[in-house]
Amino acid sequence: MIYAEHLRKEFKKTVKDPGLKGSFKALFNPKKEIVVAADDITFHVPEGEILGFIGPNGAGKSTVIKMLTGILTPTSGECRINGKIPTNDRKKYVKEIGAVFGQRTQLWWDLPLQETYHVLKEIYEVDDYKFKKRMDFLNEVLELEKFIKSPVRTLSLGQRMRADIAASMLHSPKVLFLDEPTIGLDVVVKDNIRQAIMKINKEEKTTVVLTTHDISDIELLCDRIVMIDKGKNVYDGSLHKLRENYGQTRELVFETDNSSKLTEEQFRKGLNLKKSDLVVEREQNSFKVKFNSKKIPVGEMLGYTLSLTKVKDISVKDADIEEIIRSLYRQGGASDE
Amino acid sequence: MSKILKRYVPFMQAGVQSLIIYRMNFIGFVIGGLIYCFVMFYLWKAVFESSGGGEFFGFSMADMVVYLFLSNTTTQLTYSSVSTTIGEEIRDGSISMRLLKPVNTDLSYMFSELGEVMIKVAVLLLPIIIGLEIYRFRTTGVIMFNAVNFILYLLSVVLAYIISFRVNLCFGFIAFYVKNLWGINILKNSLIGFLSGSLIPLAFMPSTLRVCLEYMPFASMAYTPVMIYMGKYEVNEMLFRLGLQAVWAVLLYGFSKLIWLGAIKKLSVQGG
Ligand SMILES: Nc1ncnc2c1ncn2[C@@H]1O[C@H](COP(=O)(O)OP(=O)(O)OP(=O)(O)O)[C@@H](O)[C@H]1O
Ligand SMILES: [Mg+2]
Repeated sequence: MIYAEHLRKEFKKTVKDPGLKGSFKALFNPKKEIVVAADDITFHVPEGEILGFIGPNGAGKSTVIKMLTGILTPTSGECRINGKIPTNDRKKYVKEIGAVFGQRTQLWWDLPLQETYHVLKEIYEVDDYKFKKRMDFLNEVLELEKFIKSPVRTLSLGQRMRADIAASMLHSPKVLFLDEPTIGLDVVVKDNIRQAIMKINKEEKTTVVLTTHDISDIELLCDRIVMIDKGKNVYDGSLHKLRENYGQTRELVFETDNSSKLTEEQFRKGLNLKKSDLVVEREQNSFKVKFNSKKIPVGEMLGYTLSLTKVKDISVKDADIEEIIRSLYRQGGASDE
Repeated sequence: MSKILKRYVPFMQAGVQSLIIYRMNFIGFVIGGLIYCFVMFYLWKAVFESSGGGEFFGFSMADMVVYLFLSNTTTQLTYSSVSTTIGEEIRDGSISMRLLKPVNTDLSYMFSELGEVMIKVAVLLLPIIIGLEIYRFRTTGVIMFNAVNFILYLLSVVLAYIISFRVNLCFGFIAFYVKNLWGINILKNSLIGFLSGSLIPLAFMPSTLRVCLEYMPFASMAYTPVMIYMGKYEVNEMLFRLGLQAVWAVLLYGFSKLIWLGAIKKLSVQGG
């Protein structure tokens, strides 16, 4: 369905030295700098899948989405969606897709929402019957009724986002590109939007590519994730596998009276572990041991700790996906230095 | 055809809607234009009086009044703000929203403006024409209104609008390369003001310059329609002028399409 092959996008940026002198210099002799926003990004998405496209700020997610939607022309590489190259016949191509860019609206600022949908109906040539059915569905899931008569510029962020999501789904697109569709929303609205995405994916086998910084979006919606960092592919696979591959980290929390005697140093020496395999965080009456369960089994760690100190209570935590992603982002950042 | 129209009419509606919301801008624009006309009127009056009355390059004072008001109105009718719009949309990145819609980008820009043009015809052109004809009747004592000329004028205005729109579109596409169009737009507007004859009638210019300017597309934007309205052209010359306008419209259409193909590859949407 979606094929992104070796996508690369360079931006030219004029850099200027600080101050007035810098501005003056830039005016006559602009220094150009090339920013590589996407560098050899490759991934495929089969029909009907919801793909989580994630990465830290500035990773190049939005840039890739813009290339996939035909807004930007790749510097090199190619993407093919539904057999079409987006920039080749933009007008035809965009008819089959829907897109939401969370930071901005694609609705007419001054038109009442309802009229906006009628406009979109004409533009996308949706017939009356389908339109009515669709609006009923969207109304129900996204609860648009309360503000459907208001001009778009008067909507709150959450209302506007719902309105935008509805607009992107109106013409039953085959593919949906959602760039941070839940940015800045409260729990209820987030849930509304997730419901809408889930339903449309189930009922119409709509393929969805979704970028987000909200891990629950991914856990609830995505079959698979593609992670990029600094414009490069970092990970491609299911959440489950991510957990298996990187999720060896376990967390043991011990409640004690006198935790102060135990140090990270002590643990590491006693168990002969490297710094990256073990972290101890201490609080007033408890301490937390995070460790790599491949290097030392949970039972052994428990035994060792209990042999050192008196413990009131113990809890074990599985590696959660957020922690894994955080450590992956951090690794990506560290490998650069 | 009606299907196509249906798809673009919404852009027109949206244009009209925002015009209504920001109507003070529009009213200010119109009133500013009228004030400018009156200032020019007194200026030219002084010129005519100091040259001892009578005619000036084949223009009587009554002609001059018609020319002043009508060329200003025509300039406003054919004025296209598409280059500013494109510049803004590129600067804030909202152009990507337009590109996501399955419509012709240039037509969508055009229809966004057409509503405004129609409103201008109703609230500006018609009153001005009526006012001018009353003035001409009172100064000369004969009804000088010529329906055929008026219709040909409208035809010429349509061509003039297309030319103006395409020229502005080409300028707007420069924004794909330089990102900030502000300075270029100011340069362009004053250049067009001079080259189109809306500042000084081209007839008053030295003959070589005049001939050059008359062949350029800018003259077609205000000068040609007004001269047609005033009946200053013989039939042959008028047909030639209209033909010239049509040729420019087609050429500029092709040229803007060509620039678009190059520009779209250069687009780097900013933000988000
Ligand atoms: N028009 C542009 N001109 C110059 N550089 C740009 C442009 N657009 C993006 N960039 C740069 O490209 C890189 C990737 O930007 P992009 O917006 O794709 O990141 P992102 O992954 O969407 O980040 P975020 O999670 O913060 O939205 C950034 O370093 C950014 O500064
Ligand atoms: Mg982004």
